[in-house]
Amino acid sequence: MRLYEFEGKELFRKFKIPVSDGRIAKSPDEVYEIVSELKYPVVLKSQVLTGGRGKAGGIKTADGANEARTVAEQLFKLKIKGFPVETILIEPRLEITQEYYLGVTIDRARYKLVVIASGEGGVDIEETAAKTPDKIFKQSLGIEDDLYSFDALAIAKKIGIPTELLKNGAAIIVNLYNLFRKYDAKLVEINPLVLTADGKLNAADSRVSLDDDAVFRHPELKELGIEKRHEEGEMTPREQQATDWGIPYLDLDGDIGMFPGGAGFGIMGNDFIHYYGGKPANFMDSGGGPSPERIAKMLVLLDENPSVKVIFGARFGGISRCDDFARGVLMFLKDHGLSKPMVMRMTGNMWQEGVRIFDEAKKENPELFKHVEAHGIETPIEEISKKAVELAAREGGN
Amino acid sequence: MAILVDKNSRVMVQGITGGAGKFHTERMLEYGTNIVGGTSPGKGGQDVLSKPVFDTVVECVDNTGADVSVIFLPARFVMEAAIEAIRAGIKFLVVIPEHIPIHDMLHVRREAVARGVTVIGGNTAGVISPGQANLGIMPDIAFKPGRVGTVSRSGSITYYVADTLTQSGYGETTCVGLGGDPVLGSTFDEILLKFEEDDATKAVVMCGEIGGVYEERATDAIRTMKTPVLAMIGGIYAPPGKRMGHAGAIVEGKMGTAQDKLDALTDAGAHPCKTFTEIPKTLAKLGV
Repeated sequence: MRLYEFEGKELFRKFKIPVSDGRIAKSPDEVYEIVSELKYPVVLKSQVLTGGRGKAGGIKTADGANEARTVAEQLFKLKIKGFPVETILIEPRLEITQEYYLGVTIDRARYKLVVIASGEGGVDIEETAAKTPDKIFKQSLGIEDDLYSFDALAIAKKIGIPTELLKNGAAIIVNLYNLFRKYDAKLVEINPLVLTADGKLNAADSRVSLDDDAVFRHPELKELGIEKRHEEGEMTPREQQATDWGIPYLDLDGDIGMFPGGAGFGIMGNDFIHYYGGKPANFMDSGGGPSPERIAKMLVLLDENPSVKVIFGARFGGISRCDDFARGVLMFLKDHGLSKPMVMRMTGNMWQEGVRIFDEAKKENPELFKHVEAHGIETPIEEISKKAVELAAREGGN
Repeated sequence: MAILVDKNSRVMVQGITGGAGKFHTERMLEYGTNIVGGTSPGKGGQDVLSKPVFDTVVECVDNTGADVSVIFLPARFVMEAAIEAIRAGIKFLVVIPEHIPIHDMLHVRREAVARGVTVIGGNTAGVISPGQANLGIMPDIAFKPGRVGTVSRSGSITYYVADTLTQSGYGETTCVGLGGDPVLGSTFDEILLKFEEDDATKAVVMCGEIGGVYEERATDAIRTMKTPVLAMIGGIYAPPGKRMGHAGAIVEGKMGTAQDKLDALTDAGAHPCKTFTEIPKTLAKLGV
């Protein structure tokens, strides 16, 4: 869960990491009101859950309330990588003499926390790491380890923080590390940490990503107004619908509706369609052990998508049982109806029961199944993928 | 032979009285898995499926000689349960639940490494040594005893690969689901090296996917192995920067694209396969 800059700075404040006094505005008029009360030149910062906003023109300076309003009007029209600007953070403009980078993250391959620091902040740290790795300093720690001040001080010294500020710099590094552990973070960054003309250190930006799966441990975040949010930019209406239904779903630009089981084959199945010359219309993941209702909803998303010419279904029942899968498909066929061809394969846990449910329903009402071509374990999934691609080509030719 | 678990393993279930725990314990028993008991704090002294229930793992180990445990508990209780099992002397631990807090898994991993315990998961379908023991939620139908090992991040991919090996007559020694969570108890290289030591395993199929860092880490292991490794990576055509299901399946910066992973593994000597049907063809070519 990625936090907005102003939310991250709220956490910084709690951990005594120095930040500017900032104010939040949701409209140009609010910007005007706030800036008219301020006696200093300001910077207006678009609050979006993505990087590169400076390059995209999302950060502007202004002198006085009138200019601030004009600038804000432009900012509120911006979309940065698909994220509309809905909030602006207003801060005093800083006179910067030096920029540093500080971050803490997880090295997943080595199961360590890593403190990363550089004397060259304000830029893409990955680029710095790739081009001039000698300008990046790292210290790995176990999840149970405290970061001691003397280690932090050594880091502060290495990145060139002036001697008279070394103790402040070390405290910022220790506090950032403590924040990381306290809030179950995946990533915390100060980029840049700036040295101002009046000789102070200031966290000029914040990037904080918390672990969604650990938010339950931190009810105090809710009191700060920090709740789960969508982080993937603007959603299509169908993605929004799927999100409301709790189904991981992405629209893609092809015409084969993908109705797979878990995420693993959800991802690989899309590759298979490409290998046989087709293009998937979506990515979807049923999640573990989906209910018949959920299965039915997955099909509704595809049937109502006009780009979808053919539906490709695959179920290898593990924790997800084939009988529940068959019930879901049947529920969809009865309640909603299928308007396009579907080729599918069902095998694994409880597959015999799944087949029995289909056979019985078919006997009762063969019309329901007129667009359904169901296969079992006897047909390899590659054959099903090929069939879907062929069907889509045929449908596309109409 | 097999790795990690066989017919002699003494298996316990943490959370044996819960809905999922009980349901899958029954399935594991039906498969012939040597389940000796389980735990459910506050329910010690009861029986579930004719197996004794204990309050603590220590009691279960003392009374049943359990050396393997399968965890079926809500994610937030997994760290405590795992560390309890590790400290009680369990040697192999399978963590089925998904959405375990990442920092919790770091604690579990540290404890496991310190005591030489292998942890699989979270968010795994489990581990099966066909004909001997089935730990987790995998469907029996896909598996048959044989001579190829598999290790995969995803449950559904494990089923497809095993099904392919079963249908083509190779069968499997052990199939390991590493799990789909972003931080896992074990990595590809660790499991590959266990297969390398197993005489019955004549080849290993490893299936990774886009995102994360675990596939790249396998290259050093593959270079040292005599047992041939076949590699499949999902997400070659995944749109960049999009999150596709698994929490682990997010590309981190420039790392973790499916093609990069496949290239790195191929460079280390693994045999790439695009589809499942290419697996038996490749095995035949290698004379397995």
